[in-house]
Amino acid sequence: MKKVLQITLGIITSVGGFLEIGSVTTAAQAGASFGYQLLWAVLLGTLCLIFLVEMSGRLAAVSKHTIVDATRERFGFPFYAVVMLGMVLVAFMVLVAELGGIGLSLQILTGLGFPWWAIPVSFLVWLLMWKGTFRLIENGASLLGLVTLSFVVAAVKLHPEWGSAAHGLLPTMPGDQKAKYGFVAVSILGASISPYLIYFYSSGAIEDKWDESYIPMNRMIAGFGMTFGGFLSMAVLVAAALALQPKGIDIDKFDQAALLMTTALPKWGFYLFAFSMLVACFGAALEISLAIAYFFAQGFGWNWGEDLEPSKDSRFSFVYTIIIFLAAVPLLFGVDPIKVTMISMALTAATLPLTIVPFLFLMNDPIYLGEHRNGWVSNSVVAIIILISFVLAAISIPLQIIGG
Amino acid sequence: MKLIRDVLDKKLIDLEQCDMGRVSGLVMYVGERSQPHISHILIGGSTLWMRVHPALARVSNRLAQLWGPKHKGAVRIPWTRVKSVGRDIKLDVEARETGALAWEIWIARHIIERIPGGGKEEVE
Repeated sequence: MKKVLQITLGIITSVGGFLEIGSVTTAAQAGASFGYQLLWAVLLGTLCLIFLVEMSGRLAAVSKHTIVDATRERFGFPFYAVVMLGMVLVAFMVLVAELGGIGLSLQILTGLGFPWWAIPVSFLVWLLMWKGTFRLIENGASLLGLVTLSFVVAAVKLHPEWGSAAHGLLPTMPGDQKAKYGFVAVSILGASISPYLIYFYSSGAIEDKWDESYIPMNRMIAGFGMTFGGFLSMAVLVAAALALQPKGIDIDKFDQAALLMTTALPKWGFYLFAFSMLVACFGAALEISLAIAYFFAQGFGWNWGEDLEPSKDSRFSFVYTIIIFLAAVPLLFGVDPIKVTMISMALTAATLPLTIVPFLFLMNDPIYLGEHRNGWVSNSVVAIIILISFVLAAISIPLQIIGG
Repeated sequence: MKLIRDVLDKKLIDLEQCDMGRVSGLVMYVGERSQPHISHILIGGSTLWMRVHPALARVSNRLAQLWGPKHKGAVRIPWTRVKSVGRDIKLDVEARETGALAWEIWIARHIIERIPGGGKEEVE
């Protein structure tokens, strides 16, 4: 009975924590510009994430090591330093985007510009990390995040044509705007396959003291949680396709994205959108800050644990304190969170080989996993999707930059 | 035992199960009459950055002179204090007495304890 409760809670938190500014903005932009045509990218990204999340939980349950521990031990410090540089830079940009997302939600609710919210919001995120426990952060933020289910309500109320939507699950070439199509597809893949989420999940498994008996539970949480989460992203895309594309609205401002909700739910849509984004970005900001601190602490072998008093793992607490307040600085100067989101999502996709390929090697290492090593199916699925993401990123990012 | 695979970069655990860093380097003793053997484990300091690039080691040394605890350079633990080499390396030492936690304690006392709610680093 206890395990059933744990599985349910795990699935609910995965769903509640799935959406954040990256997945909403990229899916909304895809829907607004290309209708249902890019649904395949959400499907592909979600499929890859299911496998990766399952693997990271399995690694932690069997070896009692997180991905970062194992990367440093198996590949050595020089390689770890390169991965650290790439991961921390990209995760920092994503954190700026999430804090900006909270600021933008508050801006459309109160009328006060997002730069004014940068410091109060960062302070609140930091305070929760400073005083809160891992469970509070993982479960509290994600349970509140269930409000993002309102995107499904919006999509259904707009009466999508299911046949055309199903057609979008298969890749097709667009008539024009090929570079933009590729760039948005890459951004969707980057938003779905977020390495920080995988680091966070494997650290969470260690914080929750998982052992091999958790392997079936881990499989269910990864499978169902991420699948339902993927449906949420698809709902955003579908709602945007129906509400924004006919009006020719392209998402480059946050309040334009709110239209995908207000068209379906005229009375409550606006507030529901702002509150959903506020909660979703807040949860993601907490997870990313923790993931960056975990990355340093585990890589260098420091004491770490969100449940410890800050002075008992001072270097860990110091890292997240610095990172959270540094991330507020670009927002203070008015850097556009939507632009940061799109760039950071594409960069995430471009750096996936650096973060995911070593992880695949670890998942095939008998020293860490023994009989629980990866099979050929999971190896092939992840390797192919990472290759597609990288090739798309290598082609479309330069084209997008040249095309402005 | 393979030194690079089984020892280098492994996590070090002290007598009280406290994490005390990772193996940054190893010191080998080569005598005229004895077989070469590992004499010390090194933790942290410029040894670690030297493995990436000597310039980074110089930067790390300079920064440590400007800032941080009195204990400079890598911490040396005699190989004789190694209890077991497995998933982690267990040592027969107390982390606080080796200097391996010098930065942890310095940051706790100079920064974290001064922020309300940070708690006290020292256990009574």
